[in-house]
Amino acid sequence: MAEDLVLDTAIRDWVLIPLSVVMVLIGVLRYFVGKLMRSSQTADEKIVKEGQLIIRARNLRAAANFIPAKSFRLRKAYYTNEENGLLHVPKGQATNPQAQMFSDPNMAMDMMKKNLSMIIPQTLTFAWVNFFFSGFVAAKIPFPLTQRFRAMLQNGIDLSTVDVSYVSSRSWYFLNLFGLRGLFSLILGDENAMDDTQRMMQMGGFGMDPTKSLSAEKDSMEIIQHEWALPKMGQRAEEVLRKFVKQ
Amino acid sequence: MATHDDSRSPQKKAADDIPIYSAENLQSNMKSIYYSRTFLSIIGGVVAGIWGISGWTGFIVYFLVMAFASLGLALKAKFSAHKYFDSWNRVLFDGFFGGLMSFVLFWTFAYDIVHIF
Amino acid sequence: MVGASEESRLNCLEIQVDNGGGGAWEYLCLVRKLKARRSDKVLKHGLSILNDHRARSKLGGEEWTLYEQVAIAAMDCQRVDIAKDCIAELRKQFPGSMRVGRLEGMLLEVKGAWPEAEKAYQRLLEDNPLDQVIHKRKVAMAKAQGNASVVVEYLRKYLEIFMADHDAWRELAEIYVSLQMYKQAAFCYEELILCQPLVPPYHLAYAEVLYTMGGLENLQTAKMYYASTINLTGGKNTRALYGVCLCIAAINQLSKGRNKEEESSELQTLAAESLVKDYKLRAPVKLPLLTAALRNVKLVS
Repeated sequence: MAEDLVLDTAIRDWVLIPLSVVMVLIGVLRYFVGKLMRSSQTADEKIVKEGQLIIRARNLRAAANFIPAKSFRLRKAYYTNEENGLLHVPKGQATNPQAQMFSDPNMAMDMMKKNLSMIIPQTLTFAWVNFFFSGFVAAKIPFPLTQRFRAMLQNGIDLSTVDVSYVSSRSWYFLNLFGLRGLFSLILGDENAMDDTQRMMQMGGFGMDPTKSLSAEKDSMEIIQHEWALPKMGQRAEEVLRKFVKQ
Repeated sequence: MATHDDSRSPQKKAADDIPIYSAENLQSNMKSIYYSRTFLSIIGGVVAGIWGISGWTGFIVYFLVMAFASLGLALKAKFSAHKYFDSWNRVLFDGFFGGLMSFVLFWTFAYDIVHIF
Repeated sequence: MVGASEESRLNCLEIQVDNGGGGAWEYLCLVRKLKARRSDKVLKHGLSILNDHRARSKLGGEEWTLYEQVAIAAMDCQRVDIAKDCIAELRKQFPGSMRVGRLEGMLLEVKGAWPEAEKAYQRLLEDNPLDQVIHKRKVAMAKAQGNASVVVEYLRKYLEIFMADHDAWRELAEIYVSLQMYKQAAFCYEELILCQPLVPPYHLAYAEVLYTMGGLENLQTAKMYYASTINLTGGKNTRALYGVCLCIAAINQLSKGRNKEEESSELQTLAAESLVKDYKLRAPVKLPLLTAALRNVKLVS
């Protein structure tokens, strides 16, 4: 263990605190910008219909036990029928989302806006941090880490004797990136619940494919068992009434 | 710990054999759990940092805080979790790791400001 | 749907505003949020804000929301002149707006100019075929003209796209009941139960439709849904109690020939007892009527 380093208080005043404040402000700003950009959205009839269909099918799955078996079977057939069921997607029609994206410039635009609103601030902040605050220790993590983390947390500092828990401003940036999500969800409400990290993972998927969710819904519809909840209601109603009469 | 109090609407219907849940209420309950835990982990991080806790003790503090939160939530649910949630795991573990990053951030922040500089 | 606590808050504010205690804007906001229909009050207080130049400018951009709200309230109160002024003001501010176009269509409706209104809505739909409000206006218009079959047609077209809209399903169910098309109505009520499985009125309505259709199987099912209504309301729903009594009586009637032993009717006697108790408590005068009715179905000797 190397002995404790003494860090300049100027680092605290000009690196640690400003970095956090800036990241919070950027998060808030992005939230409002995203809100502004989201407003104008006209949907296509087919997409609306598919969305509604999925909601309806989900309702059926969730509350299937509340309707008589006959009605349930009827609906199940209506949804999952192989010829013309609502959830059935003919093989040829399953469109490639990539191709669809290129055919519909609006969609590509939307996607780009969404991604840009995320990437631009992040890249800028990262570049800003790298440019101004690299080459010195900015903070100390209050728990020990193994040597493996050195390359990640201390790049820019080529001293092998410094304890690994002393980290550069870049890792402080990453810590902020991941840790501020909870704070955002507290101050901005739950709309912000989906954080950057999750969105980053979704980016690979490039938009979701409605036909995929339709067939997924179809699969789960096919396997649910119907167990009518109502016959038990009679007994329970008796109990309720007995209590009611006694009162 | 004020967040415990703004919790939920006891509208859940628990039946003996087929539990019936109202999805909206369940969701709002889960949201309040998530809020309480996030709030507690931030506060806990700041407190741990100010006290100068370092090393693995800090994580133990986090687990203690979360256990405390679970206890508080269970108290708030009057120990009948099935009235409000679909399983006990929701009360005990939901948002457990979500709060960890927030905890570490605020712990480091407070610790550095108070003890390092 | 308005919760009890919110309703009491609304009433509280209303009394305060009526007595000149201020808070008119808060009251109007709450009415809007809860979608309450208190058009006369909204008209009165909204107009007083709109006529007061200082109060109006204080609202900033919200001023136009208020104009819209007052216009709709005025139409509800048949004050066409006021509505016209409000809409003209809005049109000046937002030329080419969809929302104002909707209001203009409604104004035509109020005047009873159905073909013109229809045409106006049709034009708006061409621009935006997925506007739910306009589709609903068209349905309402057909209903106001008493054209049940057209209502059904519009609603079915609407539900083809917006099939998760339970309010539309409810409307369709009610129309079907009024047309005595019970099978279709039953389907709609099933859909409603699927949407919101814990809302007792849907269970009750479904049971009633099934009971009306008759037949042993339907009656059995109806009984269960009456029972579940009782279950969900804690036995406080008089209709459901009556329903259980009648249902079981009808079932016994139908199955008399087939099997000798009567169905275990613990539920029935309990329902009858609860009814008697409820009547004793709340309407003792009508108790003889009830016992006579129950005697008819051989529940009370």
